[in-house]
Amino acid sequence: MKKEDIFEIIARNTCEVIPELEGHVFKPSDRLTELGANSVDRAEIVAMTMEALSLQIPRVELFGAKNIGELAEVLYEKSKSV
Amino acid sequence: MKNQNQSELLITGVGITSAIGQGKAAFTPALMQGQHAFRVMQRPGRQKDTSFIGAEIPSLSYPERFSKRVLRTASFSGQVAMVTLQEAWDEANLAAVDPSRIGLVIGGSNLQQRDLIQTYENYKDRAHLVRPTYGISFMDSDLCGLCTEQFGIRGFAYTVGGASASGQVAILQAIQAVQTGQVDICIAMGALMDLTYWECQALRSLGAMGTDRYADEPAMACRPFDKNRDGFIYGESCGAVVIERADFAMSRQIKPYAILSGWAVAMDGNRNPNPSYEGEVQVIRRALKQGNLSPQEIDYINPHGTGSTIGDEIEIKAIQDCQLSHAYINATKSITGHGLSAAGTVEIIATLIQMKESRLHPTRNLEDPINSSFNWVRGQSVPHDIKHALSLSMGFGGINTAICLQNAK
Repeated sequence: MKKEDIFEIIARNTCEVIPELEGHVFKPSDRLTELGANSVDRAEIVAMTMEALSLQIPRVELFGAKNIGELAEVLYEKSKSV
Repeated sequence: MKNQNQSELLITGVGITSAIGQGKAAFTPALMQGQHAFRVMQRPGRQKDTSFIGAEIPSLSYPERFSKRVLRTASFSGQVAMVTLQEAWDEANLAAVDPSRIGLVIGGSNLQQRDLIQTYENYKDRAHLVRPTYGISFMDSDLCGLCTEQFGIRGFAYTVGGASASGQVAILQAIQAVQTGQVDICIAMGALMDLTYWECQALRSLGAMGTDRYADEPAMACRPFDKNRDGFIYGESCGAVVIERADFAMSRQIKPYAILSGWAVAMDGNRNPNPSYEGEVQVIRRALKQGNLSPQEIDYINPHGTGSTIGDEIEIKAIQDCQLSHAYINATKSITGHGLSAAGTVEIIATLIQMKESRLHPTRNLEDPINSSFNWVRGQSVPHDIKHALSLSMGFGGINTAICLQNAK
């Protein structure tokens, strides 16, 4: 799967968790916190994305991503190594 | 409104959601006409090569103000709790009350079993992907979190368990919270217990839930106090009542449904599901004594009446031996099904509605009563002005509760 596809999955899951974002045009620099996601929402978005990618990696390896673009990047790297 | 004793406790708001209707406007005519929704249950997680009969809520309508974000992760029990509370909240005008003086007691435990089994079945081979929100939603107290967040309640909120008496146990706790001045208003809720095929099978194997005898005639299966009963039939439901002191209600110009005139709890000292004649007699006598009521003053009984083979027999004997067989009696569960944790609150609400309507609802399928000397309301509703009502609940583990209600008209 391409990095852009993973970005789209994150955007779709973010919209599902925060329906108020419907119509929002997601950018790689978007930060989940600034989009209104609390800690539970963020955990949920990550879990839903890992499920879509069938990824089995420790969540700690996803720490450090500062925005959606970086999250897509790290997930892309992990998905390549599975 | 009659001039109440200022310290009397009143019920001033009611919310109801059941398989026969969401809200009093739908529930009341369905109750009075004895409409039902019994069929082979369809909700995902209810059957596994089985055909358990029950009554399911056909659809839920949500107030606009409920956020989709919250509803997405709320269990069915949680969603039903919120819509039910909304009705009671509006009726008692709680938006005008200091939220730090409002409490909430939710009756029931292990409420969200269907969520549990669906999560298990979905993630059993990939546990690392279990949704994080399950870490919140598997707890019964999530209903407290959902309701206090949605309604801004800032007093207290907790859950209490008492098996099928949970709904009344919640009312007893709410009474105490208002009596002691912990809060000015306390909402008691009997929450929806969301059964799966696991619980249905175990309850059936235990001899509590009805058998397959009426598999081809689901409408006939739920028949409390009838000689051909063979166990309770489940019915999804949830009820909420608002309790406050008379002086507080009068200061807010809120019209009450009824006065809480007597209440009691009695334990059998028995872990098992079997009922106890002694425990039931004890709880009835304690409630009447606490309300300073003679048996002759009770003119309507809303019994526990599940359709259990032994339970109905014992209850009828206890009522008779407490000199109450003159009173009108019907069985709400014959129409709604058995809401388990919700039942105690739902049946208090059914009693309040009958008081308000000056009419008693029929009892479905009561073709051959186990005791014909009682004053049964059978095929049709009957007009009657309830003055003093007695409502009973019993639960596994030897719990018996009773609440007396006095008409506030």
